[in-house]
Amino acid sequence: MAHSAPHVNESNATSGPPKRGVLVVKKHHLLVRWSHWLNVPILLGLILSGISIYWASPVYQHKPDPDTGNFDVAADIGIWICAHVPGLHHYSSPPDWIYNHMSLGPGMLALALRLHWLCAYLFMLNGIVYVAGLVMGRGWHSLLPRRTDLFDALRMLRCYLGFPFAKLARRQWLHLRFNTKYNALQRAAYFSVPVAGFLSVATGWAIHKPMQLHRLAALFGGYDAARVWHFWLMWIYILFVVPHVILVFADGWDTLRSMIVGWSTRVKRSEAIANE
Amino acid sequence: MSNDKQRDSLQAEEIRSTGSPLLSANHESRTDEADSSVAMGSLCVEKPQGFFAERPLPAIEMAPRRLRYLTRRDVLLFGAGAVAALAGGGFLLPQETLSRLGVRRNMDSPGKEWFLNKALRIDDDVAEALYSGNRRVPTYTKSQITTLKNNYNGATPDPGYISGWKLTLDGLASGIGISIDIRNLLTRFSVHEQITRLVCVEGWSAVAWWAGLRFDDLIRAYAPMSQAKWARVESSVNLDNSGNPDPYFMSIDLATARHPQTLLATHFNGQLLTVDHGAPLRLLVPVKLGLKNVKAITKITYSTEEPRDYWAERGYSRYDGI
Repeated sequence: MAHSAPHVNESNATSGPPKRGVLVVKKHHLLVRWSHWLNVPILLGLILSGISIYWASPVYQHKPDPDTGNFDVAADIGIWICAHVPGLHHYSSPPDWIYNHMSLGPGMLALALRLHWLCAYLFMLNGIVYVAGLVMGRGWHSLLPRRTDLFDALRMLRCYLGFPFAKLARRQWLHLRFNTKYNALQRAAYFSVPVAGFLSVATGWAIHKPMQLHRLAALFGGYDAARVWHFWLMWIYILFVVPHVILVFADGWDTLRSMIVGWSTRVKRSEAIANE
Repeated sequence: MSNDKQRDSLQAEEIRSTGSPLLSANHESRTDEADSSVAMGSLCVEKPQGFFAERPLPAIEMAPRRLRYLTRRDVLLFGAGAVAALAGGGFLLPQETLSRLGVRRNMDSPGKEWFLNKALRIDDDVAEALYSGNRRVPTYTKSQITTLKNNYNGATPDPGYISGWKLTLDGLASGIGISIDIRNLLTRFSVHEQITRLVCVEGWSAVAWWAGLRFDDLIRAYAPMSQAKWARVESSVNLDNSGNPDPYFMSIDLATARHPQTLLATHFNGQLLTVDHGAPLRLLVPVKLGLKNVKAITKITYSTEEPRDYWAERGYSRYDGI
């Protein structure tokens, strides 16, 4: 999502008659790129199997409905969706709608647990690869929060939200300029997601081994509270991924390429001038 | 060195074309840099900075052809990886999920089972490594007790079995099996109380007040055969959903059985166990998932080999240490 601070791009470099090189910077270390993409199937597996596990004993319950015996809030939502969304009125099992569409499926706890453990171990290994890549590529410097970040992030948010409206109204909307690899909002997002990953792993262990690791569980307020943490941490990934994907495509090929190939032709003036 | 100079001037020219007056100043400062960095074509001057400060990314010059080649190569590799991940993920998905996605063919295979079981065994080994016989589970006060539902997997048995109930022990050092009734157990062994949390594989948990004899005391009184590492704990009165006999059997490693908080419980909430909770004797092993806490135990058999396990045969793990 690195944006258009003034840069020397390919066309600039190749426009003149003598063939010249392109200025490029290495945006992401190989290990960071690998672990970034591996997170896609791993997190998908964790979320889908996780919601299947959730089905067996939902965190959010109410007193059983006298008519249906239903006590699961997620089932209520499924019933509501099937009652109100056109074309779903004849859905065979409305209480299962959420589980049929957002998980591996209801009633498969053993299978879901096996996949969840498999993905969880892969996720932890992947986390180590990611951290190694951050250290080796020195990318971690760009992720650390700064003192001015809160204000800058709000300005950035206003800037992002204004884009679609400006486009519709055919008005000019200048992108905020910044002198760092990421803007404050990106930094907040890219810093929080690994932190959420770490907390997901910690709460996961707390509910997986609540007796041997009871001190860890106590850190999150006990076994039952750790389950609630684990559930809501999942939403951080879901809430992150949506704008993340939209903004990458809005920003263009160079940004996407930098996460696949590593190189970017967007060389910021700050990089070209070297700490003026 | 002349080569480097040539590159230098190339870059300088290029920078000038971007039209920033600041850039030429940079160019001058860079010429003072060590030769090696010039040879790298780096435009970066590394100033000493704080440890946490962000450093500018070093920009290098690359032939457009080379960039195109690298892009093509890595995008192709990336595509191959995406296809492999899709195939691998599809291979591991449960059949039910696949059929909902419109896959008609049965994709279950021995390879898939083997792979997923392997992952499950790794998790079991981790759980076993985490276990410590010296570590006590947290205990609670009576005000922290929560309700514990009757979680018999099938129908709850008719209480008729209780009057003639006996616990049978097998696989003993003496070589002969023995039977003990509940009165005998309660008079011979001291009763221990504990308020601990029972955690179900489904995710719910309950804090309950239990009392009973220590499994370890029973093991001391009736020594298992030498080399025994396992116990099979069994309930022959267990029923399935439609009320037909469905014996429940479960494996437990003797290290866990000997844990001081592993009880053969006789009391729940200060009263003798009710049928719901496995009268007259149930296993209470707080360091394992609830499914290992066999209700209405009728037989314990010691063995050197790992015995069969009811839920392991239904796709769950076998060690179940928590």
